[in-house]
Parts: sequence; C-alpha cells; structure tokens
Amino acid sequence: MKRLLPLSGEGGIQRSDDDERGRTQASDQTLNHLLVRLLWAFPLPKSFVQFGRWLGLDPFRIAILQSRMQSTFPCQGKEQKSSNLIENLQHEKSSPNPSRGGGLYPNQNLIHTKNPNQNKRILPLLRRGPGRGLLAMASIFLVLSCTEDFKEINTNPNAPVSVQPSLLLRQVIYDYGEQMSYEGFTAGNLLGQYTTALDFNLFDRHNLKSPQLGGNPWPILYRNLRDNENILNQSLENETFAVYEGPVRILKAYMAATLTDLFGDVPYSDAFKGKELTVTPTYDSQEDIYLGEGGILDNLDKGISAIANYSGTIPLEGDILFEGNLENWVRFANSLKIKYLLRISDKVDVSADLQAIITEDAPYIFTNDFNAAFNFTDGEPNNFRLARLRIGDFNNFVLSETMFVILTDLNDPRISTLFRPFSNSNSGEFNGLLNGIDASQTSIALADFSLAGTIFRENTGRLDANFMTSWETLFLLAEAAQRGLISEDAEQLYNRAVAQAFRYWQVELPIEYITEDAAFENGNPLENIITQKWIANIINGYEGWVEYRRTGFPELKTISASLNNDLIPVRMPYPAEEEALNSVNYADAAAKTDGNSINVKVWWQAP
Amino acid sequence: MKYVFLPLMLFASTWCAAQQSIGGKVTDDQGVPIPYVNVVWVGSEKGTVTDENGEYYIELDSATGNLEFSALGFRKQQVPILDSSRINVMMQEDAQTLDEVVLTALGLKRETKELGYVVQSLDTEGVTEVKSVNFLDNLAGKLAGVSISQGATGVGSSSKITIRGEASFSNNNPLFVVDGIPINNNSVFNFSNEAAAGFQEIDFGNGAMEVNPDDIANVSVLKGPNAAALYGTRASNGVIVIETKNGGEFQGLGISYNTSFFWDSAFRLPDFQNEYGQGNSGEFAFVDGLGGGTNDNITYSWGPRLDVGNLVPQFDSPVTLPDGSVVRGGDTALYSGLQIQPTPFTSNPDNLKDFYDSGTTFINNLAISSGFEKGNFRLSFTDLRSESIIPGVNLDRQTVSARLGFRPTEKLHINSSISYINSQSDNRPSNGYGSENVNYSLVAWGPRSLNIKNLRNYWQPGLEGTQQYSFNYTFFDNPYFILFENRNSFNRDRVFGNISATYDITDKLTATIRSGMDYSDETRQLRRAFSSNRFRNGGYAEHDVFFREINTDFLLNYSDIFDNLTVDVSIGGNRMDQKAFTGQSQTTSLAQPGIFRLSNAASPIEVFEFESNKRINSFYGIAKLGYKNFVFLDVTGRNDWSSALATPFSVDNTSFFYPSVSGSFVLSEVTDLPEVISFAKLRASWAQVGNDTNPYQTTGAFVAQTPFNGQPTFSNQNTIANPNLKPERTSSFEVGADIRFFRDRLNFDISYYNALTEDQIISLPIGISSGFTQQVVNGGKVRSKGLEIIAGIVPINTTDFRWNSTLNFSTNRATVEDLPQKEGRLTLAYSRIYDSQNQTVFLQVEEGGRIGDLYGTGYLKNENGDFVLTDEGRYIPDNNLQKLGNYNPDFMLGFNNQFNYKHWDLGFLFDWRQGGILVSRTRALGNVGGQLAETAFRPEEGIIAEGVLNTGTEDNPVYVPNTVAVTPESYYRQFYDRNHEENNTYGASFLKLRQFSVGYTFDELNLFNQDASLRLSVIGRNLFAFTENPHFDPEQLAVQGQGFIGGVEDMSYATTRSIGFKAGVNF
Repeated sequence: MKRLLPLSGEGGIQRSDDDERGRTQASDQTLNHLLVRLLWAFPLPKSFVQFGRWLGLDPFRIAILQSRMQSTFPCQGKEQKSSNLIENLQHEKSSPNPSRGGGLYPNQNLIHTKNPNQNKRILPLLRRGPGRGLLAMASIFLVLSCTEDFKEINTNPNAPVSVQPSLLLRQVIYDYGEQMSYEGFTAGNLLGQYTTALDFNLFDRHNLKSPQLGGNPWPILYRNLRDNENILNQSLENETFAVYEGPVRILKAYMAATLTDLFGDVPYSDAFKGKELTVTPTYDSQEDIYLGEGGILDNLDKGISAIANYSGTIPLEGDILFEGNLENWVRFANSLKIKYLLRISDKVDVSADLQAIITEDAPYIFTNDFNAAFNFTDGEPNNFRLARLRIGDFNNFVLSETMFVILTDLNDPRISTLFRPFSNSNSGEFNGLLNGIDASQTSIALADFSLAGTIFRENTGRLDANFMTSWETLFLLAEAAQRGLISEDAEQLYNRAVAQAFRYWQVELPIEYITEDAAFENGNPLENIITQKWIANIINGYEGWVEYRRTGFPELKTISASLNNDLIPVRMPYPAEEEALNSVNYADAAAKTDGNSINVKVWWQAP
Repeated sequence: MKYVFLPLMLFASTWCAAQQSIGGKVTDDQGVPIPYVNVVWVGSEKGTVTDENGEYYIELDSATGNLEFSALGFRKQQVPILDSSRINVMMQEDAQTLDEVVLTALGLKRETKELGYVVQSLDTEGVTEVKSVNFLDNLAGKLAGVSISQGATGVGSSSKITIRGEASFSNNNPLFVVDGIPINNNSVFNFSNEAAAGFQEIDFGNGAMEVNPDDIANVSVLKGPNAAALYGTRASNGVIVIETKNGGEFQGLGISYNTSFFWDSAFRLPDFQNEYGQGNSGEFAFVDGLGGGTNDNITYSWGPRLDVGNLVPQFDSPVTLPDGSVVRGGDTALYSGLQIQPTPFTSNPDNLKDFYDSGTTFINNLAISSGFEKGNFRLSFTDLRSESIIPGVNLDRQTVSARLGFRPTEKLHINSSISYINSQSDNRPSNGYGSENVNYSLVAWGPRSLNIKNLRNYWQPGLEGTQQYSFNYTFFDNPYFILFENRNSFNRDRVFGNISATYDITDKLTATIRSGMDYSDETRQLRRAFSSNRFRNGGYAEHDVFFREINTDFLLNYSDIFDNLTVDVSIGGNRMDQKAFTGQSQTTSLAQPGIFRLSNAASPIEVFEFESNKRINSFYGIAKLGYKNFVFLDVTGRNDWSSALATPFSVDNTSFFYPSVSGSFVLSEVTDLPEVISFAKLRASWAQVGNDTNPYQTTGAFVAQTPFNGQPTFSNQNTIANPNLKPERTSSFEVGADIRFFRDRLNFDISYYNALTEDQIISLPIGISSGFTQQVVNGGKVRSKGLEIIAGIVPINTTDFRWNSTLNFSTNRATVEDLPQKEGRLTLAYSRIYDSQNQTVFLQVEEGGRIGDLYGTGYLKNENGDFVLTDEGRYIPDNNLQKLGNYNPDFMLGFNNQFNYKHWDLGFLFDWRQGGILVSRTRALGNVGGQLAETAFRPEEGIIAEGVLNTGTEDNPVYVPNTVAVTPESYYRQFYDRNHEENNTYGASFLKLRQFSVGYTFDELNLFNQDASLRLSVIGRNLFAFTENPHFDPEQLAVQGQGFIGGVEDMSYATTRSIGFKAGVNF
C-alpha cells in the first residue's frame, strides 16, 4: 500500500508524473497507468483536464477548463484565475514541449501544474494525517458554498449586453426595408390590388385576420421601433453618439406613420418601453401620434434640427440608406413631412406648412439619386425574400385584374418589368385575375394569368427596398399643387414624377406616355397623379392601399368572393396577440373601432 | 489510511487488500432456485441479489459475521460466515416477512417498509424482455404515474417522459441518474425558423434513449419531490434511478449473450379515399407540374374519378422526344411543348403502404463478468442496428460499458462504471408541417392518383444531381429525393460514468466520495441537393452539439443502533458543473452540386451559436430513525447555490434551502390484523424542492441578425431579463398505504399526493407593442393532485404454473390556481403552421384551467351549439380562441401479465390511456386536400352543411335548419380548414397491446463443456390498438420552437408494430 506514496506527494493523479516515473518504475506503474486512465472522472480537478485531453478536446477549451478548475477549487484562487488562463494559453502557443514525452498527450505541460502555490494550498491539507480527514471534508464544503464565481459563470458569453448604435441602425433600416418589402409583395399588393392570390387566399378575400404569407406588419414595426428607440436613447445620453439623434428621429416618425396609417390608434407614447417594465402600453389616438409632442411631425422637425445643430465630427455609421450623408437625411425628412402633411390634409389645414417647405427652399428628395432606399442583391442573404421561397409560394401570386386594366389602358411598358406574359399566351400577352376568388368553387388555370416579373425572384439585384423616393415626393407635391395647397405647377411636377418613376423601375419612358396615354390632363388630373404614384409604389409596403383609402384612387374593384361583405377594408385589424396580452388597453381601442372592425375609418380619412 | 482523501491512494491500495468472496445458491424447500433474494452482509451496506438461477456472489472484507438472506414471501434468514467460500441456503416460505430492498436517493438501498413515500422498480427482465430502441419506450405502461409519449419520426425519435403529470409551466423533465450520477435527457434541435423557407426542425433523439437496457440491473422511479428531495432542484419532476449490472453475480468467468431481432411494419396508416384523383373541380391534366396544365400546380384530389377508364396526361405518362426516345411527363427539363400521352387514371389504395419499407432491428449484447480476489468486473458490448420503415432512415448504436469493483483493503470499496456510446444515423427525417417532411407530399398533398412507386427514380435523366423528377414542382419535393438526397445525419459520441470510493472510518462511520461525468459531442450534417424547393441551389448545415456535466460529491454516513432505535445520519455535498454548446454553420446555396462542405458555399455562411454554463453547489443532510422496526422517520434538508440565479453584479438570490420529512408505520408489526392481511404499512411525507432556471435569464443582451452586405447587424433580444429572479418552489404532501393479503398473493400500494408549485420561473408572453415578446418573471401556482394504485395479483401459484399480474393505475390533475399576469391566459407553447398566427394550436392556461389545455379557433355557433351558417350555407369563422380540450389523459392503466409453466413463459402488457384530445394536422390538411376517407362522399347535388340559419335579427335570432347545399369540395375545404382547429381534433384515448412475449428456457444445458442456459422467445411491441382515429397512432408528439408539444399530431410518420425473436444464452 505504501509503495505508491511518492506519487501522491506530487499532487495526486498527474499524468505527467506518471509518465516521467514510468521510465524508472515501469513495473509498478503499469497498472497505475491503467488506473489513471480509468480515473478520468476522479474528483481532483486536473483529472478532468486529463480526461478531456484523452477525449481529444482542443487545447484551448482545456486551458479554460483548467483555469476554471484551478481558480475554483479553493475559493481564494479567484484572483489568480485570469493570470492562469493567460499563462496557460501563452504556454500553449509558445511551447509544445516535445521533451515531455508527447505520446498520447502532446501538450502535456498544460496538465502539469503551472501554479506552484496551487499545490502548496492543497497538499498540506492532505498531508496532515488521519485526524484531519474531517477538516478536509469541511473545506470541501466551504468550497461548495462559494458563489463568487457565479457572476462570471452567469455572464452570457454569446451576446453582448450593449452594442454600438451603428449596428442597431443598420439592423433597423435593413430589417424594416426587407420585411416591409416582403409584406408589400405578399399582402400589401393584395390589398392594393396589384396582384391576387390563387389559393390559400383568405387574406385576399379580405379576412385580414387569416393571412397566409406576410400580412402581419405589427411585430415588424414594433420590433424596429424598439431598436430605434435604443439608438435614440444612446444618442441623447452619450455625446459621442449625438450624430444618431437626427436620423433615428426621422426613422421613428417614418415607422410610427406606417403603423398608425395601417391600424389607426396604436400604442405609441407608452410603447416599446418594456425594459422599463411597461408591458401593457396604452393606445394613443392617431391625431396625437401625428400632431402631438414626440409624434410624427414633431420628430421630423426635431430630427432636422438635430442634424442642423450637430457640430461633432463623428460620422454616422450603419446608414445603409445614405452612407452617412446627413444632408440626405434632411431631404428624407422633408419629403416625409410633405407626405404626412398631405396625409392629414383632410383633417388639418396644412397648406401653410407645405408652402413653407417650398418657400424656404427646404431640401427634399427630388431625384432618384437621393432616394431613401437600399438595393437587394441577387444572391443570399440580402436578396428579396421571394427569391428564397418555394416556387409554389411565388406562383401563387398573379397579376390582378385591377392592375392589368390600368396598365394596359395606359399602354404602360412597365408591365413587362413588373409582370410576365401568361404561359398559355403565344404572343407575349398579359392577363389579370379579379382579386379574391374562392378556390374551392372556381378552377383557375395558372397558365392563363401573368406571374410577377423576374425582378421579384430571379433578378432581385435590380430591386430596391423603398423608404421614400423622388417620384413619390414629386407626386405628393403635384397633388398639393393641384389641390391648391401650394402654389406650384402641378403638371410639371407630375411629368417629372412620372419620368423618375419610370427611371426607378428601369423602364424607358415612351414620349407619348406623358403626352397622350397618361397625360396630366387626360381625364382627372388628381386621379392621374395618385394612379401613377400607385403604379410605381408596387411592393412599397401597403402604400398603394393606404393612399387609396385617403384619395379613393385608383378605383379598386369589388373582389369576387369577399369575406367582408364586398367592402374594401379601410384599416388593418389589431393582431390577436394584442387582444390576449394587452387586453385592457385593447378593449378600449376595440371599442373605438366597432370591435376591431376593418371597416372603421382611421382619423385622417375623410368622413 | 491517513491519505484517505487522496484519490490515488485509494487505487494504490488495491494492491494489498485481503478479501473474502462468498457465493452460493438459494433455493426454496423444494430445491427450486429463488431469484432476487437480497443478500446482505449484516452490519454493512454491502449486499447483492441472486440471479435467475438463485446464484449469488458477494465480496466481503473479511470472513466474519453473518449473511442475511431475504426475499418477498420467505422468512428472513441469517447464516454465519464460516471459512467457506460457498454457502447454499434453503429458505422457508413466510408471508409475514417483507423486507425487499429498493434503490432510493443517492443510490441508498433501503427496505421498502422504511420508506415514507412510494418507489417503484423494474428489474432487468422488466426492461430487457422486449427491448425498444429508445430506452424510455421500455418503461411505458409498467410504472404507475409515468407517462411516455413516443416521437413521430421513426426509429431514433425522441420520447417524452413525465412523472405524475405536468405541474410546471416550463420544465417537466424528470432527472435521470445512472449509478448515482445524473445524465442528461436533452433533446437539442437544429436551428431553424418558422417560415416556409430554410431548414425545418429535426428531432435527433433524447439523451436518455441511449441508456442500454442490457446493462441495467434495476430501474427505480422516485415519483415526486418527497422521494427525491436529495437530488436537488432537478428532482422536482421525479427521478429515474438506474443501477447498472455489476460483475458480482458469478464466480469465475460468466458469459452471457443475447440477440433480439425485430421486423417492423407501419402500425397504422391514414385511411384514404380512392375514388377521386388529382385536380380541382373535377379536372386535371399534367403539363409541367407548375400550373402549365389543368390544375397541375396543385395536388388536391378534387379531380376526375379514378378507375372509370379516364385517360389523363400524368407525371409518369410517356412523352416521345423528337429523337424517338421516351421520357416521363415529369421530366420537364428535357422537353417543351410536346404532348404527354394520356394514361389510365387509376387509384393506388396501397401507395403509402408500399412506400414504407419493412424495418429491421438487431440488438446483440455480449457481456462477460467475473469476480476475483479483490473485486469484480463486468464488461458489456451492445450493438444495435435499426433500419426504419421510413426508407433511408436508420440508427446504429454501439455501447461499451464497464463496471469495476475493488476492495483493496478491508475498509475501502471502490466502484466505477463507465459507458461509451456511439450513435449514428444516415438520416433523421424532418418534423412538422412543411415540404421537408415527406408526409407533406405523401399524405396531406399526395393526390390519390399518385403512383408513389414511379417516383423512385427521382432524377431527371441526364440531370442527376441537379434536377429532381417529381409529380409536382410548386411546393413539393419528391419524397424519395428528400429521404435519399436531403439527409440529416448525425454522429454522437457519449461517455458517462463515475468512480466512487467508500471508506469505513469506523464500523459506524463511513465516508464516500464520488465523481462522475456525462459528456457528449455530436456532429450533424444537413444536406440539401440542388432543385430542392426550399434550396434551389442546394444547401448545407453543420451543427455541433456539445454537452458536459460533472458532478462531484462527498457523503459522510454514521449509523448506530441503540436498543430499539436505529439511527442513520448522513451529510453530503455536491458540485455540479454543466457546459452546453450548440453551434450551426450553414449556407443556403452551394457552388457545386453534390459537395456538402461549407467550403462549397455559394452564399455567405451564417453562424448560430449558443453556449451555456452553469454551476450548482449543494450541501445536504439526512437523518433516518427507526424504532422497533415498525416506525420509521426520515428528515432531510438541502441547500443549493445556483449560478443561474446570479447576475453579473450580484449573487444575492442564488442560495435556497428545502427540507423534507417522511415517516412510515408498519401496522402489521404492532397489531393483530385479520388473518387475510399479511402486511400493512401506512406512510406519509411532506417535502419541498426549489428549482432554479436556465443560465442568462437575469441580464438582457443583443443578438446578431442577418448581415447586410457583409456588415454586422444587431437587435435587442426579445425577452426582458429579470435580475431579481427567485427559485421556484414545489411543496408536496403524500400519503400512502401498502397492504397485502393472502400471504402476499394480492397486494395494493396506494398513494395520494397533493403538490403545489409556486413562483415558477417563466418567460411570460407579452405584447410586442411593449417592444418585447417575453418577460422573465416569477409567478403562478399550479396544484397537482393524483392517485396511484399499484396492484399485484398472483392468481395461480403452483410448482409448475404461476400467473403473476400487475396493474398500474394513475390519475393526475394539474390545476392552475394563479397566473403570473393579471388576467387572460398564459401561452406556454404553441404548434404552428409556418409562421401563421391563425393556424396555431396554443397550449394556454387560465386560472382554474389545467395544464395541457389546448386552444384554437372554430366556426360560429349559437347557444345550442349548432353552427350558424350564412345564407349561402357556409360556416362563419369565429376568430376567438376557444378551449379545444386537454391532451392529458384522465387516467392511465397498465396491465402486465406473466405466466410461467414449467419451462414456458408468456407475458403481455396492455396500456390503456383514457381521455385527452389530439389536434390533427393530417386530418385538417388531408381532408382539405380531399385525400382522406372522410371526403369520399361527394354527391353531385352538393352537401348541406349541418347547422342553422338565423332568419331573425341579431338580437332576436330565429334559427332554421340550413337547406342550402354547397359543392362537396367547398364543404370539406371549409369544414376542415386549417385556420380552424375545432373540427380537426380526435379523442386521444387508446388501448394498446404494448408488449408480448412467449419464451422457452432450456436449463442445465451443456455447451462447450460448460453449464449453460438458453432462452428463446417470440416477442412483439405495439401489436394493436383500439382508438377513435382511423389515421395514425394516437401517441403523438409534435416539435416546435425547440421543444415538444403534446396533444398535436403534426404530419407524423407512421409508428411501428414490431414482431421478433430473441435468444439469450448464459454460461
């Protein structure tokens, strides 16, 4: 029994000891060697390291493991931990130490105790003789109750607790643009009657609570408003990040408007404050969201002045719309201001504010070069999402009768970019289908209808995620001029807008398009303005439908098998989760919308 | 001795210990061997059990003292140890004695009469007679209160186990302990998303499936906190305590070999209609499978009639190319505009049956064991090879295990057990609703005119590797293409085991230290070929899963006897260190087809990673008192310190303490009971268990998202962390009685328990308008009550013929008494089709409701429960969530029978689960698609939906029966619509013949000049079932959001019926 005592004097089961002595005490060590292998799990920490090595764990993991073990065996080892780790890692890198026998464990030195104090601490305890056995037990207990390491153990190694605002800004812009473009294709296009869905189409039949793909913009908006608010708070709290204030206020106004335009009254001033433990936010009226302090127009103004007042030199990063060009953010803000003033123009007299933008020569987006948009790519992961879905999902959407009639009446060549000839056609013709068919009653031959164009699937590198464009701004100004809200030449604005819209969709503008087919005075100019804007706004979220609700243009059709009593919905319903999880505030909002009806107009809609 | 705590010394000392080994045979007074006799060296904890032949073998430190022999139904006997290595014993029958030993917490063997709570055990035979690939399935029906649900993806799927129902909102997994050391029962899924793009979720099996039945000596189930307080936080859901076989049963070399072979076939397949084929509105013609023909973009079976002589162009109809060669209609990449020659439109009633293969499972086990002078060992090798009935799906598993016992000195006992397991599969099929699950294109959307056999050749000629051939190209992939090309393989290495040393400091004081590890490392490869619908240019993902848990404990035990009082006190400590890592790197398009490597990526590689670390330190104590062998009292206490409750700034909430007390009273020892009662014991216990949580719930973080042009993006996590988390608590009260009649021929063990789980740590769903979707909170109260009755009956017991049967009855109700939020229902989980909120079955709870309540939507009904229809005779959606039912059974009953006649034996096990519902996606989609038998009735005049029309006003309704007919297609598509689950449920009750065996044992054979025994048997599993639904096995688990969802059948694969042979030989 005593024969193996010297080994224990070296600090227990040390592989290195075993190997070194193996050369001189081979006979005794043979079984011992075996035992050490079997002893892989024995409660001296280093044996774990050995075992890990035996299993072929990489040295880095082992170094960490070992340093943890060393540091935690007795609690007071804490202060040495970091140096142990570094030492081990350095050793690992610099010294393969071939002299130590290599063999099974090429990096044996790692196992060998690097910290001589470590041994001193453990071994005397164990050497003190039989009467001290209980003491040893007790010391193990003390170790067990030690919790100091818990702080480190429970620190999440996977994700940071705070990040640079640039990373969040890039996320907000990309995620919003990507998701709302997808929403635009799969749901906005149905409500706006650009396309129709052949099957799985309860949403297209205006049961808006049963979307199949897309059709649920609520979480997209709130998630991005939350991340955006994070940047805003950082920019207000930390001088270094002040440059972000303007852009994120503008984005906040933009996303808030999208939200309230779709749903009406929504949680806003109380919303996205979960971190402050406000988890059931109250609803704000749409009027307040537009006009109130901290609302859409207020944030646009504050955003513009924040940029004007910014004197720092730290650039705006993560800006995938304008690459940090602050002047373009001001243009974006002013274009949005025009848009939102016009949107509430049936409720509020906005002509002075609109005229001021013109008179003061405030910069806005007037050419496509300044568009608030980013490019999708052809390849993953930044391609348009319809490029990634199954072909059946894409083929479920065909040209709508509404869009088909408008484009063909106008001889609009953009039809060839936005759609494909139907496959049963021998001469490259297009065909559209009235929205909202009941697939169980009607047999539809896909080959008789036009699918969406290659720009939405095969060549999405040509496609933009659209936030705000020059043509949209110019159409808005044309409308304002036409309605006498500003004193400008509506026709000239209209013609510029049409030309830029064609350029945006990479289609050459036939001269007769502006002089004849879509000439300003050909029919109702106001209708022409809105219709042209509607055409160009395909996949731009729900924009076509939102503007239809405001202006009544273009005239949408009564769908074939409506689940909404042949009414075209005028708002999106609050999602079911809001009813379940924010029920008190929801009940209030539902009461104001005839039980969350999709036929109750929002505040800015003409009565 | 002075180096007693230095582990190496323990081993060093193996060299020089003197020992006595004793063996022998135990028989009854007829000379018949008695198996399972407990043999204990009096005054020590040392003991063993006789084997099937009545043989025992025990290692003693010295040849002194007495051996005590005890067995159910026999009088206890003590035999002095003389200077002999063989002691044969004849035992006298006695119904009055009842000292069987069970394994309890910390591996302590205790007599059942001492216990204040119920522990139920299975022996080797109980788990090995009819082996299943997933260890958990071996337990089904055999243990009262233990519920097993098997997974839905063929051999290698996970099974889910719950003990005494589900009382926690978040975690109801019992703890598994092998030879005293916890092992994991995790199921780790690949990273996936809910949308109809990307990789679907795949079930790679649960951790405890790898426990090898052939190595098991005993399985004990500690059912509630009362029994399990000492295993700590994870024991609040019960503990499965497994003890492996040791080598002590034979002196000299023992060899045993057994082999099992099963044929597997599909247990139950959907009941299809076979009258109508593919199409819509009665029309169909294939051109390109993309909508170029007549309704060939969709695969509903609302098409023309089958078997009436129609000739229809189909995917497998011939097309003659200009060069005269003939290809198939579906070879659409090879031709354009040519005519497909129409072929007969015929039914294929057995197409799915033919698709499934006949599966095979071979399990071979070889074990050698031996005792030697200072110890014993057992080495075992098990080889399992299983080919699923799902083509191309398999599971291979090799297990090597070793158990070693050393008695180096009189006072030192060293034990070690270790198992190494390698599992691998070439393919684990995808789960859930979506095109990567073959049931999507075979059942829900597989038209009845489809001849599946013609899909076997799944490439288009000349385009092998780049373009599949299929019956449709819109949403679906060829099922053979999915199974043979888009494979999800894995290879998992796992080692678990431990080593322990016990030292007798004095004859009353012993010290034990033990350390063990469960380690596993797994690599998965998810391959997707070119032309897959979700991956046009292929895809590839590598998923690594790492897990390591180390437990180290010490235990000091003191026991003494004072006159009538026995005292046994232990204190111990434990440290658990757990590290888990899961990391998936993937590309969603490949440069070259057929090369599945990340270096072949044609799109930026996406990486998902999660590492978690956790430590729990514990200190505990147990005191056991016994008075005059009829009153027993246990008191325990444990304090845990969990790192998961710490924040990076504070450790304030990390400590929690929980006690338990239990007692038993052996009535039959103190009073004269009527003659018929041979034994009666009453017991009661109260216990509390604390429970911590997963790491990193106390601080928020930002999560990396899809990069834009290679530049990183981050978003806030969607969960609000909680730095002030408290541990959960379960308090449980249990009473029970163990009463035996007629010399133990009839016995009842009855338990009633009532547990309250409070302060549960949950991720409370909150509205995204708060900016977040979940908030980590403490809260809620769930009351769990239940009754368990274990009845044992021996109706016949003669020398030649014995009939032994056991009934396990249990019922459990978990009622929600309080919720963490102010009002409304709490969503615990959901099962969803893609990311559609409306096509979702919610597992929600409300105050007064039960865990397991399922919610979904249905159609509008009036107060009489009649459907209210529109003037056109159509249902009106009611989008309010309504309770569909609860998936938990009202009661479970297992009925196990064993007949022995001379050398013959016969066993069978019925498993009855009564109550509960199941939401079926197969029913919803298969009927919307017109595939299932429910839709065979298609009258020309249409179908008048059962319901009423309101001819009055909304306030004063006047209901008249509906008389308006709609087309059958329209009727079925609306009735079974997947947006409304109410019409798509089945009762989940079933009665199954779970297990069956007939065997013959050849005794006293002489093989190779050795005494040997040989046993041959015919065995079967899942032979038949009575249940309401005609389409699938009612035992179902769905997978969603990295977890299992009970009560939902989500496009499941067929389960299996197994019939086979088993042969076992022992030398």
